[in-house]
Amino acid sequence: MTLILDLLPRFALWFVLAPLLPGIINKVKAWVAGRRGPPVLQLYYDLARLWRKGVVLSTLASPGFVFGPAVAWVAVMGAALLLPLGPAGGAPGFRGDMLVLIYLLALARFGTAWAAMETGSAFEGMGVAREVSYAVLAEAALITAMLALCVQTGSTSLAAMLAPAAGADAALLAAGLFVVLLAENCRVPFDDPNTHLELTMIHEVMVLDHSGPPLAVILHGASVKLLLFALLLTEAVLPVGKLAPGVAAAALAGGVLAVTVGAGLVESLLARLAFRRVPLLLTTAFLLCLFALLMAWKGGA
Amino acid sequence: MTPGVPLLFSAACLLGGVVCGPRRARTWLALTLAGAAGALGAALLVLGGAPDWEWRHGFAVGGETLHFRLDGLSALFLALLGLVAGTGAIYAQEYWPEAHYPASAPGGRSWWCGLVLGMGLVLVSANGLHFLIAWELFTVCAFFLITLDRQRREVRKAGWLYLAASHAGTVCLFAFFATLAARTGSWEIGPLRGRLDCAPLFWLALAGFGVKAGLFPLHIWLPAAHAGAPSHVSAILSAVAVKMGVYGLIRFSGWLPAPAAAGWVVTGLGAVSALFGIAFALAQNDLKRLLAYCTVENVGIILTGLGAAMLGAAHGDAPWGRLALAGALLHVWNHGAVKALLFFGAGSVLHATGTREMSRLGGLWRAMPWTASLFALGAVAIAGLPPLNGFVSEWLVCLGLFDAATRPGPSAWAATPAAMVLAVAGALALATFAKAAAIVFLGAARTRSAEHAHECGALMRGPMLALAALCLALGLAPVWFWPAIARAAGAWNPAWAGREPPAPLAILGPLQGMLALLAVAAAAGLWWKSRANGWRRGLTWDCGYAHPSARMQYTSGSFAGIAAGWFGWLLRPERRIRRPRGPLPAAASWMERVPETVLERVLGPAGRALLRLSSAARRLQHGRVQAYILYVVAGLLAVGTLVLLGGMP
Repeated sequence: MTLILDLLPRFALWFVLAPLLPGIINKVKAWVAGRRGPPVLQLYYDLARLWRKGVVLSTLASPGFVFGPAVAWVAVMGAALLLPLGPAGGAPGFRGDMLVLIYLLALARFGTAWAAMETGSAFEGMGVAREVSYAVLAEAALITAMLALCVQTGSTSLAAMLAPAAGADAALLAAGLFVVLLAENCRVPFDDPNTHLELTMIHEVMVLDHSGPPLAVILHGASVKLLLFALLLTEAVLPVGKLAPGVAAAALAGGVLAVTVGAGLVESLLARLAFRRVPLLLTTAFLLCLFALLMAWKGGA
Repeated sequence: MTPGVPLLFSAACLLGGVVCGPRRARTWLALTLAGAAGALGAALLVLGGAPDWEWRHGFAVGGETLHFRLDGLSALFLALLGLVAGTGAIYAQEYWPEAHYPASAPGGRSWWCGLVLGMGLVLVSANGLHFLIAWELFTVCAFFLITLDRQRREVRKAGWLYLAASHAGTVCLFAFFATLAARTGSWEIGPLRGRLDCAPLFWLALAGFGVKAGLFPLHIWLPAAHAGAPSHVSAILSAVAVKMGVYGLIRFSGWLPAPAAAGWVVTGLGAVSALFGIAFALAQNDLKRLLAYCTVENVGIILTGLGAAMLGAAHGDAPWGRLALAGALLHVWNHGAVKALLFFGAGSVLHATGTREMSRLGGLWRAMPWTASLFALGAVAIAGLPPLNGFVSEWLVCLGLFDAATRPGPSAWAATPAAMVLAVAGALALATFAKAAAIVFLGAARTRSAEHAHECGALMRGPMLALAALCLALGLAPVWFWPAIARAAGAWNPAWAGREPPAPLAILGPLQGMLALLAVAAAAGLWWKSRANGWRRGLTWDCGYAHPSARMQYTSGSFAGIAAGWFGWLLRPERRIRRPRGPLPAAASWMERVPETVLERVLGPAGRALLRLSSAARRLQHGRVQAYILYVVAGLLAVGTLVLLGGMP
């Protein structure tokens, strides 16, 4: 019972705050380009509208077309609830929960991939193939980053791993995790959320055929995932666990805001990479995390 | 009740099954099911807490008196054997009926019982000689089962390859058991942890059992045999027969003192098998070959866990070793149940459409909803995703590796790369099974045979349902199965006996249950909401293209293209491309095949080179006496010169 009472407010927090991030990114992009841009709350309006709309289903689609996004959303939400919020406390923190987090994100990927393949469209097939392939490299980088944090703190539970500040390797780890964030959330330079050329997209092309509530669920899940990675990056670098609750909350909010603005700036200043360069950048992220791991080892020895 | 009673009952039933298999199908089915149930019952008795069963009898076979033993470790494998033997026998009733295969079905029934009996004997033998006899029995039975469909050339080829590879492994096992018997003075096998002089024998066991287990690069026989065999045979091969090799490795790494490097080598080989196995699986276009390569991956995961356990045992029985061992042992069950389910599903697809080629299938969910959903469940489980069973065991192995990585010490150097490789292999497994399930079951039918598919009957569906239920139970309530795993772990290393589950496992079970519940609720809720909002069916949007056709869909090859390209140096795909040329291009084509690289690029050329050398040497022997005299004179001169130069005393 206490567990549920603890989880509910955190769930509400994630549920409500997550769609803010894409709005902030869009605002930053507009600001850099000298435009006014859409309101920060645009995604909320979109979600509310989509939730009320009807659905067009492909004639080929099975019920999995609707089940896939639902499962993916539950998986992302579950992963988010595993992430501790500094002094606000982690949910059921236990040894090895960082592996559960990584695998829940994988389950979410499986759900969206399944739903995309339902339509039998070559475009969606292309998107899924890219998504699952690049995820291989992203996951290698992510697990290496986790290993670095584990080695640094001597623990395998998220609450203990993320409490202290990253050591000398903070910059490496932050850079690596930031690249993973961009890749996993399909931002520039990996993918362009604004593009309208299907051949060049990853995430957007996977949801081409979705509409109505399933699309709303997918978009909300994607924003939760973005917030999840931004928080993970912030907590990995800042000593959130050592601060007083109020300060920690401010630090988390500031960190997430900084990461989001950073993503927006990257999006404004960089062009999307050619697809054959994508593995190179992801490998670089992996190497950054690997060097962080080596430094953590050296620090421990 | 002592486990001996159901075991003897089971053996008697299986012997009866061998005898009456060719004639009486119904009696055979009853006897096989009874035999499987007996084996399962005996195993569960031991795993549930009954003391180890030991039985000696003065009757001598091959000069050695009978000695059987069933302890926690062998019971773990015996339970899996009973399960797959029973479900496979029911499945075969519909999949390989006498009406369609009058020539091979009757014999197949007898060989099935022989195979099960042989594997059961391997598991309970406590005598090296009898172990070898049982090993040979099950190897030969498996050969005849693989070649049931021997009218097809590729099946005969696969069978011979299997037989040759298996016997290459058996040679190592002969050497292993004979040397062991010579050193200890008896063929009896049992715990010999104090005999440090026996440690180097582990390498022989690794080679011998590694062939059967499909350890990379000894896996050459595995893909062809699994793909060519009837699906119920593929299921028992992958779920149980391959595990016999794993059993041998776990058994003798626990009983014999291991060499200092063994833990490192086993961890490394396991990680390499996991990564390369899944890379090959991803690139396959044949559904059953894909599943076969995935077996290599899963054996790799099991052996990574075993290697970590050996490292842990060597470093003062570290607790992380126990975690890794528990993960490896649980993965034996998980992979057995899931892979049998997937091969049954693949068999159902083959039964309905007549092809294993994924790019000729598609859209099967409409005609085969049961198979599609059960295969999807298996795909999620084998990709190691929560909340199903594959995740629990992979998580335990990874947790062991992570714990080892965070402790300063040399084992961290093995555990860290192994953990990273397992993560990459896990992501590749997701890609592989997203591809397999989606290309086969989703989208539009690519050929006429896929269009006219039909759902399998109750006899094929029942076994799949039973296995799927087991996968769910193993995933949602891993704590129920923990006592069995703990018993087996205690048989491997007495220092790790103890029934209490590791603390995180007790949390993981409810967490998985909650996740499953929420996923089902969310799916139902979204379905309801979508329907309430009103939906209509329309053509796939496809960016406004008005006439999408089934041939425009992504195929298995294009899906795997990106990630398989990264492993091009290993996979060496053979491509035959005819590009469209000119203003009015003729027909164009693109064919791609991923060969079994180790077999076709390494062993094949090496064998041919050996043959060429041998035939070159044969030219010396031509029957001309003058030349022979010349050889003798030349030889004498050479020896004489050597002596003169003082090269020899």
